[in-house]
Amino acid sequence: MAEELQKDPMSRGQFLYLGAVGTGIGVVLTVPSVIYVLSPSIKSVLLEESDVPEEWKELGSVFEIPPEEPKVHLVEFDQRQTFDSGQPGAVREGDNVGVITNAVLVSWEDGKLPSLLENRSEEEPLESAEIGELTRKLNVMNNACAHMGCPVRWSAEEKEILCPCHGGIYDINGKHTGGPPPHGLWNYTFEIREDGTIYVKHDMHVKTEPGEKPYVV
Amino acid sequence: MIARIKARTRQRGRDLAGWMEERTGLISIMEKMLYEPTPKRGKWLYTLGSATLFLITLQFLTGILLLFYYVPSTDEAWDSIYYIMNEAYFGQYVRGIHFWSANVLLLVIGLHMMRTFLSGSYKPPREMNWVVGVFLILIVTILAFTGYALRWDMEGFYAWEVGMKIASYTPLIGDWMVTLLLGGDTAGPATLSRVFAIHVWLLPAALAPLIGIHLFLLRKHGEYGAPFEYSERLAKLRRSRQKRQYLEEVDEESGTGGE
Repeated sequence: MAEELQKDPMSRGQFLYLGAVGTGIGVVLTVPSVIYVLSPSIKSVLLEESDVPEEWKELGSVFEIPPEEPKVHLVEFDQRQTFDSGQPGAVREGDNVGVITNAVLVSWEDGKLPSLLENRSEEEPLESAEIGELTRKLNVMNNACAHMGCPVRWSAEEKEILCPCHGGIYDINGKHTGGPPPHGLWNYTFEIREDGTIYVKHDMHVKTEPGEKPYVV
Repeated sequence: MIARIKARTRQRGRDLAGWMEERTGLISIMEKMLYEPTPKRGKWLYTLGSATLFLITLQFLTGILLLFYYVPSTDEAWDSIYYIMNEAYFGQYVRGIHFWSANVLLLVIGLHMMRTFLSGSYKPPREMNWVVGVFLILIVTILAFTGYALRWDMEGFYAWEVGMKIASYTPLIGDWMVTLLLGGDTAGPATLSRVFAIHVWLLPAALAPLIGIHLFLLRKHGEYGAPFEYSERLAKLRRSRQKRQYLEEVDEESGTGGE
């Protein structure tokens, strides 16, 4: 009776065997290729690794930052993507590969020069209390707009940081004052050393939006 | 003398065509493929699909030619395009065709889609061809966008960056999307390699079979709006109307008779 009902000559065992073999072949073909393509995502999202190693990079001296406008520094960070720039000899000397350049905007809070820097000689090392004071008053910002990542610039006439793409506006502290950006500019992790030199890490954060990454830069 | 040569050549040609037909069926395939009756009404509107196909063919051909000089690396991409535009003979010509036919392609695809929509050609039994067409327009749009980034100049780079930021707002998988497309958490050599792989290999490979399916479905159902299609539909409509009218009359008669 049951055999009569079974119109398909394939037995249950054969069906299961075919299914298992098919799944096996499918897995072997697809899973490695998907993981291969996704490996940067796995490293970045799951393992929270970055293309840019955490290193302090020299930015410049606090004595060079003028009042009323941000100073722009170009900083080159090492970048590891399709090749490992950490390997000596792997990359030819003088090649500009394995490097990502960031534009860093540095300004004093509200554009006011801290009083302790007035009439102060650059020769004297800074004391830790002074470093703490300067760290509080210094803005170290990335130039990528918080909206869509276009490069922002300081406009001397408007006294504002402007984005050319969709009209995002920030004040001298990088605080969002107009246009589509959801929050202010990204701030770098930085430190001021005794001789007044600022060092930055390729590690950006926004005070109001923890966890969000700027990408691209 | 000349007449004899003429006759002989004609005979040779016929023999060759017959030989080919017997072995490959080429002649009958071409007859089937090329002779598609199109409605008298509309005329030029029915050439938009062929124009799209022509422009895509141009894209494939000039794209292959551009690959002879283009270098997909962050250091050399822009310079290699500069070389194509200034040093290579006919470089401006080849890249100009690739650039402008890509622009016109998007326009013509839009018109083609509009014609299909406004004439109702997406209606049964041609829905699947509309669906395939939607996938085609998506692929072509992404091709245009990735091609823009391959230039690796300020404009192309920041257009890509804006695209990445938009992708990063994808719900739940935003981080995965943007890192997948960037090849990391910053833009760099891996980004350009990925854009190159997508533009030159992945999408054209996906595009070609879909174009084949699009054309197969067109040949299967024919152009919409052919006279026979209208006449058949109209006859059907007339018949159903007559039937309804007749039934109503019968209904009325029986209704009055019952009282």
